Amino acid sequence: MVRFNNRRQKIKKLKIVLIYIVATIGLCMSVYPYLYLIIQSFTPEAEVDRVLVPSHLTLESYRWLFLGAGAKRPWLRALFNSIIVAGSSTVIALLGGAMVGYALSRLQFKGRDLFNNFLLFHMFYPGIILLVPLFLLVVFLGFYNSYLGMILPKALSLWAIFLYSSFFLSIPKEIIEAARLDKASELRIIFQIMIPLSWPITTVIGLLVFLRRWSELLWDMVVITSYDKMTLNVLLATMSTGEYVDFPGPMYAATFILTFPLVILFLIFGKRFTKGISLAIK
Amino acid sequence: MLKMRKQDNIVGYFLTAPYLFYTILFFVYPLIWSFWLLFHRTSIISRTREFVGLENVYQALGSIKVFAAFIFTYKFIAIFIPVTIVISLFIALLIDSLSKGKIIYIIGYFLPYLASGVAMSLIVRGMLSWNSPVSQFFNKIIGYTPDWFGNSTLAVIVIALMVSWKHSGYYALIFLAGLQSIPDEIYDAAKIDGVDFWMMIWKIIIPMLYPAFYTIMILSTGLSFAIFSEPLILTGGGPYYATHSWQLEIYRQTFEFGNAGYGATIGVLDAIVTFVTILLIKRLLKTWGGLYG
Repeated sequence: MVRFNNRRQKIKKLKIVLIYIVATIGLCMSVYPYLYLIIQSFTPEAEVDRVLVPSHLTLESYRWLFLGAGAKRPWLRALFNSIIVAGSSTVIALLGGAMVGYALSRLQFKGRDLFNNFLLFHMFYPGIILLVPLFLLVVFLGFYNSYLGMILPKALSLWAIFLYSSFFLSIPKEIIEAARLDKASELRIIFQIMIPLSWPITTVIGLLVFLRRWSELLWDMVVITSYDKMTLNVLLATMSTGEYVDFPGPMYAATFILTFPLVILFLIFGKRFTKGISLAIK
Repeated sequence: MLKMRKQDNIVGYFLTAPYLFYTILFFVYPLIWSFWLLFHRTSIISRTREFVGLENVYQALGSIKVFAAFIFTYKFIAIFIPVTIVISLFIALLIDSLSKGKIIYIIGYFLPYLASGVAMSLIVRGMLSWNSPVSQFFNKIIGYTPDWFGNSTLAVIVIALMVSWKHSGYYALIFLAGLQSIPDEIYDAAKIDGVDFWMMIWKIIIPMLYPAFYTIMILSTGLSFAIFSEPLILTGGGPYYATHSWQLEIYRQTFEFGNAGYGATIGVLDAIVTFVTILLIKRLLKTWGGLYG
């Protein structure tokens, strides 16, 4: 009996080890392209895309990008533009989402159901239908080739409104009523009670909106024509199919600069994010 | 019963005003405009407008490029959705059975989702470039280097798998949330009844994950109709329009050739096809959900 138990325990242990091995192999495959990217960006020009392990590491590609021939294009400026566009879009999406979400879930005003139904319709409408008229509208409004043109038409996130509104419903109404008795204004209730209480959702919305905005290509490419206003993603895309196509090394360096901030952001907020996303999906 | 508070009306309208303004300006108005564009020939540069009736629609329906986009998207869906669902479900089951260090694996598997379409395409282009380690490897094994982006079948497969790599970790998170909502008692009961591993997956886990499947199917179908960066950078829509996507065609027609009316028409067509496809998939999922109750 004892020996039998021992063997079963051994099999169980073996199983756990096996699962970890498989999970780790999968993990390596999942992050392998990133490793490839990092290594190639520090590889000497002659060896880029030729070897997995370079003979020595060098900053040549980065130097080429910022000081050499690549400096014709404003890479740092593009990084700054990306931060401005993605950052302000995220702030607008969070504030707008919380305000509208609060009204749609917690206030009994006339026409609320109509609002809610329209929101669902709006949310599931394929956005591509709007691309051309939205572009013409932006030109008409004089926002062509400007930050506002990039930010405004995509600023309000319906998905954020929807998530906030369903999450706010799970917050006990006694808390809101107590705050109202204390003569707190509705805006104060939103910003000092509702948003802090829903931090997991806020993290999820904030990170995903930032990520989506950071990675947007089509819209930003269409609205912006001058290099000094392009986001990094757009600048990299224009570079990848033109005169720089034969310079894979600097291209990897730029890709690394594009992706690295997101990875850092995610490593910082990753734990909160995974907690939040299980709440968001329900 | 919730009672109406008088000030709710005022505050409610005040708080929803930004949304109302945004929606009228950036949704309702362009939406109407897009139907106006459908019947006109107009350029994005000049101010000429000419009423052409249904000519744009006829042109789009008869266009080889639009048809190519239509076919490409379904080919893409046929590879992308099954592969991604199997991989992400596998990752979710794997992570769910770990006892320690779950968070490290979750974050690790999620990292590919952070790569933009441009970043991902550039990495893959380099990895598969002529004489790259991967190509050398294939050269050794099968004797030649596959023409990754020159062969029309292969190009679609590479793009689909690449997008699949990006999204598997994200969808795994959705599955994982579903798995964690399955009560332990169900597993215990199944174990006592002597249900084996595969039965457990087919008869218990997959039916219980129905909401997660639903979400992922809708998300991934929507995404398949919005492929843009990958063909733009990797193939330019080629070879022979094999990877020509809807958005690429709209972009080319509108912003490279300047035909705003025609571009908008393809946009409307794309929206209709997307809408019908999603409706069909919803119907399919409902019958499937009905089977399990």
